Amino acid sequence: MSSADSLALIESMINKAKNQFSENGHLYLLWGWVVFICSLGQYLGMRILKIQESYYVWILTWVAVIYMIIYLVKNKKKRRVVTYTDELLGAIWIAFSIVMCLSGFILGQTMGTRFYELLNPIYLTIYGMPTFISGVVLKFRPLKTGAAVCWVLAVLSTFIPVTEHLLLIAIAMVAAWIIPGYLLKQRYNNQAVN
Amino acid sequence: MFKELDPILHTPLRLAIVSLLISVKEAEFTFIKEKTNATAGNLSVQVSKLKEAGYIDVVKQFRDNYPQTICKITPEGLRAFEIYVKNLQSYLNTGN
Repeated sequence: MSSADSLALIESMINKAKNQFSENGHLYLLWGWVVFICSLGQYLGMRILKIQESYYVWILTWVAVIYMIIYLVKNKKKRRVVTYTDELLGAIWIAFSIVMCLSGFILGQTMGTRFYELLNPIYLTIYGMPTFISGVVLKFRPLKTGAAVCWVLAVLSTFIPVTEHLLLIAIAMVAAWIIPGYLLKQRYNNQAVN
Repeated sequence: MFKELDPILHTPLRLAIVSLLISVKEAEFTFIKEKTNATAGNLSVQVSKLKEAGYIDVVKQFRDNYPQTICKITPEGLRAFEIYVKNLQSYLNTGN
């Protein structure tokens, strides 16, 4: 084996590993649709059906959490390769979940019943962060665009009535997780074919 | 002055395995087999040689009643690979 052959082999194997996308968009779609349905459900319940308790629709997120845990455990068993990207993205999304829970808790503790005024603008800001980092790490522009949409909506939320904030969350889900989720799924399926 | 290329790494399949493993955290035997296009028997022999040299860690386990072999590069393997590439570059720089 000549030096040039060795180098070509190294390059080819590194490229094979590099082009390994384990992100199939499934969890983006799960959470995108769940949060979309919950935010729009609560909005329509409150504004049109005039049901004050329509926030109970968010119980659906607990069902999604249980499904996600089962999915992740099963997926871990099936995985044939773990990349450094997988590890990094996993850590980012865990940190995101913790930040979401903590910011909700802190807002509740400090603002009492008025927590609702800040909750969605802050959530929109936070949604953008892991979405943007994932877009950079996966070299996937739709995620970066989705993150930018979240941040624009976060700014916009300070100019519109609190009662309309849930609509912004629904729009953010479509731009940040649902559309990129379907595109990631498509990219993953194409990889399986090629 | 040319340094001798590491004989453990200077064979196509072993070099392919190590090149693949430096790019990922860990990989299953079937994944390496698919990417290197090697036969299971040959791959198994080369994996054992890399393990004996201390370049990779091999964990054999059962998952859902199926045997599974997970391979991972060791710090020693990473060092050996870096030296190999450095020596390779010195050969290439002189047009060999």
